[in-house]
Amino acid sequence: MRRLAGTAAKAAAIALFAFALIGPLANLVLWSVAERWYTPYKLPVTYGTRYWEVVFRPTGDAMSALSTSVAIACLVVVVALAVSVPAGYALARLRLPARTLIMIAFLLPQAFPSIAIYINVARVFYGLGLTGTIAGVVLVHAAHALVYSVWITSAAFAAVDRDFELAARSIGATPWHAFRTVTLPLAAPGIMASAIFVFLESLDEFTGTFFVGVPQVSTLPLLLYNASMGGNYQIASITALILLVPSVLFMLVIERFLRADVLAKVGR
Amino acid sequence: MRKLLTTAAILPALWLTPAGAQTINVATAGDQNMVDYVKDFLGPMFEKANPGAKVVAVGTGPGDGGSQKIYEKLSAQMKAGADKWDFDVIVVHQKMAGQMVGEKLLADYTKKIATGAMATRDTSKNALGANVSGFVIPMFHSQTALAYNPAMVKDVPNSYAELVEWTKKNPKKFGYNGIKGGMSGVAFVTGWVYAFGGDAAKLMSGPYDGATKAAWDKSLADLKEFNRNVVITPGNAGTLDMLNRGEITMGPVWVDMFYTWMADGKLPPTMKLKLVAPGMPGQPMYYAIPAKAANGSLAEKFVALATSPEVQAEGIVKKFNWYPGIDAKHLEGKLDPAAWKKLFTDISPDDLAKKGQPFPLGQYFNEILESYEKKVAN
Amino acid sequence: MTSRRFPLSGLLLVAPALAMVAAMFVFPFVLSVVSAFSSPAGAPTLANFAKAFELYSGDIAFTLLIVGLSTVLIALASIAIAGTLTLSETPWLVTALAWLYRWPLFIPFIVAAQCMRTFLAKNGLMNNSFVTLGVLDPDSTQSFLDWRGIVITFAWKQTPFVALLLAGAMASLDRATIEAARNLGASRLRSLIEIVLPQVAPTLLVGLVLSFVTMLSVLSVPLMVAGSQPTMMTVDMAFRINSYSDYPVANALGVISYLFTALAAWVYLRHSLGQERGQP
Repeated sequence: MRRLAGTAAKAAAIALFAFALIGPLANLVLWSVAERWYTPYKLPVTYGTRYWEVVFRPTGDAMSALSTSVAIACLVVVVALAVSVPAGYALARLRLPARTLIMIAFLLPQAFPSIAIYINVARVFYGLGLTGTIAGVVLVHAAHALVYSVWITSAAFAAVDRDFELAARSIGATPWHAFRTVTLPLAAPGIMASAIFVFLESLDEFTGTFFVGVPQVSTLPLLLYNASMGGNYQIASITALILLVPSVLFMLVIERFLRADVLAKVGR
Repeated sequence: MRKLLTTAAILPALWLTPAGAQTINVATAGDQNMVDYVKDFLGPMFEKANPGAKVVAVGTGPGDGGSQKIYEKLSAQMKAGADKWDFDVIVVHQKMAGQMVGEKLLADYTKKIATGAMATRDTSKNALGANVSGFVIPMFHSQTALAYNPAMVKDVPNSYAELVEWTKKNPKKFGYNGIKGGMSGVAFVTGWVYAFGGDAAKLMSGPYDGATKAAWDKSLADLKEFNRNVVITPGNAGTLDMLNRGEITMGPVWVDMFYTWMADGKLPPTMKLKLVAPGMPGQPMYYAIPAKAANGSLAEKFVALATSPEVQAEGIVKKFNWYPGIDAKHLEGKLDPAAWKKLFTDISPDDLAKKGQPFPLGQYFNEILESYEKKVAN
Repeated sequence: MTSRRFPLSGLLLVAPALAMVAAMFVFPFVLSVVSAFSSPAGAPTLANFAKAFELYSGDIAFTLLIVGLSTVLIALASIAIAGTLTLSETPWLVTALAWLYRWPLFIPFIVAAQCMRTFLAKNGLMNNSFVTLGVLDPDSTQSFLDWRGIVITFAWKQTPFVALLLAGAMASLDRATIEAARNLGASRLRSLIEIVLPQVAPTLLVGLVLSFVTMLSVLSVPLMVAGSQPTMMTVDMAFRINSYSDYPVANALGVISYLFTALAAWVYLRHSLGQERGQP
């Protein structure tokens, strides 16, 4: 009897928990198919996919915002990896003075409330003509994501067994050759993981783009924000669902890229 | 992998390169309906009439903040000495237009187009005390009013004073957006100061006197008290949305947004408007052309089209429910009487003439906003 | 064996990344602090802070309250989740929980804000569900779209992150200590509080401090979920910039938020240094 009550209590707790977690997401889906919904109705009055057609029309804002967002995210990954693969290798393999300080330096952009930073970056960019440009937004995103790309890349390199490198070197490979053919491929899954983190950070970024990109650069989060503040909840919900797809995909496949031994070395 | 990276690198290069010679960039402040107007209505119309031309519209956000963003961009480009600026046509609020004319950021263009002579109201020459004659043509005139749900509001207040009593009897049923996120809330606060803060005529037409704001203390304290019985909404659309969902039953709205939302099925068709005494502000928004616009002559054609009687009748009044920017007499014959009358169902022309107020002088305006932040919001 | 021959090459490799941090973070950071303390003429002054307090003292206190409360809620929730995952003896509960709790993890704040904006409204899905179930009656539904909505959104979004960290830390503990306590008759709750928690406290603290700083920086959530008064400092900063181009006061607010962060960092450092001192 007590066991039954115990099980019932646990089931109720899990159900409540599920409602709290999934409810808001389900709400998003509901709004995306609601054509007319006003008080006092508890559920949409008319269902329909009209707003999906509005969002996905080729000349629509959403398609161009989506392509802008993806293009920016790709560029950010390129930029971030370009600076962090060398940095990560150096931090993992080479002897650096003030190594801990350097690692902390990359943590800084995430350790301070970034909105004040973005405001001043935008102000500097005004003078340089970089506001409202893709290049400006890419720089802002890349700097903010450095902690992920440097720390995870460094951990990925640290997790590569040095014996493989030494073996390659001992049969005559140059350091660069050993790096290219042995270390890099072995560290690739970790680097991919950091690339994905950076991609997601950039795709979802709102505050920096709000100050540096507006008005010419329109990304999906900005579109979401404008639609929501304009009362257009259907478009906002559909845009939110589009933004969710990469995040959910990543969550489902993350195990493949972030192996335990890499995770253990993050921050070391 | 390399191919992917190259493609990924080329795509955005398309964005980075400057737009073609036949593209005009229209930057508009205001809510999404302003951007939609250019994107879905004016843009295609202009492109059809001028083959080879392309219209790119960007919105900079609602309220004076949106106009501020446009000002900052133009000002930065002027300081940097650029000889072709990013925007060809801008749509801004009065306060910023005055500032832009003062800093010589705008082109003196209205004499060059035929429709320039069709706007003769005071607002086409005077923007909150600044002389803007020749630099702007009003796109539309808008008006705020209180929207209410007649099913739930039986005793509609007729004045600000009656509204205060009403909110005491019906707490949390009135909502407005403070001064952030939209001009409908700003209009409400301004109307409050006009009603309770002393000499309204001086605020509207000057002269500016720095000592005036001391007289507002009592009215602001009352407003702080009033705020305890109301809901603060996130913005223009926030107020309309809460009205729609029955979370509030009365709130200040822009008349045009009200009718547009109703037509879209986002507001119950039974809702009504009331213009309360002594009055509520309204404002025009202006078409202007930056002094060093990249495509100045094409921009002039665009504004000429936008302010032509046909477009004003069809677009501004009929589709988007604004009062026209050019003088109403030019629209005679271009608009069916039903569409015209619709604008005046709840607010008669008489009402509009008596209780439609302009916003105050620029300096007073800033002081009202700052005093609100200091004494009411904090 | 590390490369002893070319220490300089290491620095060269790190240089581009460091340069990026210097240009895109350190430089604007210094700018913001200088701007906060400068008068229009360039002289040092505290006038901007005075004005910031005059206009926004309520919001400043409000920000600390919201973020502090959210952090406490996150701590409680993540301890509960991680504790259940580690100590529960009901397999189906653990599986269900493990599958459920991670959902908000990779959802960006702006999407969470949009979800909550319609979920928490007076006639939103949450209230409507309660009304349909008979738990609430229609007239007493409240809108949570104020500071409570911000707290709920923050807690909803950040708990999975801290819970993930904690669960990982708890999983790597030596189970012998837990089993010893259980064999001596301690309840699971007691073992959680007295045995497990002290050992994972450093991880918990890291997660909470990171969350605290992240939440201080969020703009989308207060903009979309709450009305405009009272609101968080981030909204006021955006408002000052967008409507008045008032960098000095906005930066003064920024410096105040840095101070809050420093406070959190100080709490963290005191605890972790205290830990080290306590160890032999």
